[in-house]
Amino acid sequence: MDIIIALWYRNIKIFARNRVQLIFTIIMPFFFLFVFSSVFKNQNIENPVNYMLAGIVITTVFQTSLTVATSTIEDIVSGFMKEVLVSPVKRIQIAAGQLLSAATIATMQGIIILFIGYFIGLKFTSWITPIAVIGVMIMVGLVFSGLGLYIATLVKNSQTFQVVITAITMPLTFLCGAYIPLSMLPKALQYIAYLNPMTYTTAFFRTIILEKTSLTTDQLIAEQLAFKIGNFIITPPISMVIVIIFGLIFLLLSTYVFSKVDFSRINRSKSKEGDIFS
Amino acid sequence: MRNIIEVRNFVKKYDKFTAVDNVTFEVEEGSIFAFLGPNGAGKSTTINTLCTIFDKTSGTLSIDGKDVSREKDAVRSVIGVVFQEPTLDNKMTVLENLIMHCHFYAIPKSEATERIQFVLNLVDMLDWKKAMVSSLSGGMKRRVEIARALLHYPKVLFLDEPTTGLDPQTRAHMWEYIVKLQREKNITIFLTTHYMEEAEICSKVAIMDAGKIVAIDTPYHLKQQYTKDKANITTLDEQGLEVLLDAAGFIYKKKTGYYSIEVNDLPKLMEIISEHKAAITDLEINKGTLNDVFLEITGKDIRK
Repeated sequence: MDIIIALWYRNIKIFARNRVQLIFTIIMPFFFLFVFSSVFKNQNIENPVNYMLAGIVITTVFQTSLTVATSTIEDIVSGFMKEVLVSPVKRIQIAAGQLLSAATIATMQGIIILFIGYFIGLKFTSWITPIAVIGVMIMVGLVFSGLGLYIATLVKNSQTFQVVITAITMPLTFLCGAYIPLSMLPKALQYIAYLNPMTYTTAFFRTIILEKTSLTTDQLIAEQLAFKIGNFIITPPISMVIVIIFGLIFLLLSTYVFSKVDFSRINRSKSKEGDIFS
Repeated sequence: MRNIIEVRNFVKKYDKFTAVDNVTFEVEEGSIFAFLGPNGAGKSTTINTLCTIFDKTSGTLSIDGKDVSREKDAVRSVIGVVFQEPTLDNKMTVLENLIMHCHFYAIPKSEATERIQFVLNLVDMLDWKKAMVSSLSGGMKRRVEIARALLHYPKVLFLDEPTTGLDPQTRAHMWEYIVKLQREKNITIFLTTHYMEEAEICSKVAIMDAGKIVAIDTPYHLKQQYTKDKANITTLDEQGLEVLLDAAGFIYKKKTGYYSIEVNDLPKLMEIISEHKAAITDLEINKGTLNDVFLEITGKDIRK
């Protein structure tokens, strides 16, 4: 436990030290807010700014957790992980430390945006809402750091890592209804969006943060918080179950693969391939 | 002395490429053991496997009686490692790096501060405790790494090319630290190097080439067995010297400005020298070096 906390503390400290990164991750969401909130004005949605804000908070949590967890590859490439691997530390402890810190950083960023959002007009009527919102952010943070760590174990080279991250976050972010309503997408893309775990994450998170839990199914569908796929209606609770199952799969998979992966084959950016053999 | 490291028939393959090919050796406790060989000889692969990072293909490797592949955690707690490439956490300070290491090795908090003080002092880095690792020079980083590797009082310290990329002065200092450690703490030091001068200091040297150990002995014995002393003589009367050398059966080469003679029989050579002394303008007798040993065994020059 001591090791998990130490690793967790290290990652948070590093994140806090990188001021530029911190500022940009806060500015970017608000840039998106102004660009995209007009898109929602034409939709059947009660308060487009808040609706958009909710989407931004959760995509920030998603992107941050994914990026921080995948940054494990940087630790592997920079050599720090090599030090860890020759110590008696269990790999599962390293995985846990990386996952927890990614989820924590993601949640902290979500809270910062939420806090600024409060001044833009996001209000809660019940005191349970903010607690539930933070709870969901932690959960979503964990889910996608699981995915991130899994990607980190697959990518064996820090150059491809950047490309892979963009290739994964971009479609997941733009095909989930957070920035662009799903109803505006072509039919084919809508079906792809239904395969995107972020679609359900966003819908479920919006229902909670906008306090729409008491809406009828038809109202939920109209607000794009529930989805009708064929005859089957995916309500926010079902969305939550989907996200949890997805998360459990990747949390287990990533910790398993991380404990088993042979780091001798990871390509270090600075050295030539031959150096691995020397 | 008991053997702290034992390696039997160790083989490591990468797909079809055999990096280490059936290697057997042992290291005595408290000694300085060196792997000498060119890049790609399999030195780092052997170290990485002993350090539990790589998995062996076959063979048995043990440290302090513990099997390297089956008792990884037990092995990890008795070894300290300094890799060829820096493995410090660049985003943290020197102190933070060392504290992290204490966490990894479950060193109690009450002891940690004292130990950190001790190891930093050992490598003269106490004043740099608060510095960010990324701001340190290569030599300083290496010193911090050695300090870190000693924090948990390992029985074996692995140093993979500890002085590569350091300037001669820092290299000399590094060796002071290494020898001091071995003497004072009785730590077994296992290192790889391709600097001949460094291998000379070691208790035992294994020469590696193309995945195999081609010779293993003390530097003194290796030189005795595989090299001959060489005498370099500059003379005014070249023909006269050649006649004398031919008559005595010496093997020699004519180089630009001097003769390089293999010293098979020292008394006889001294006779020739005294007979020929009027013409000799310069004389030098060189001991064989480990590079000559390497050249003799593998037919290759290690420096190339």
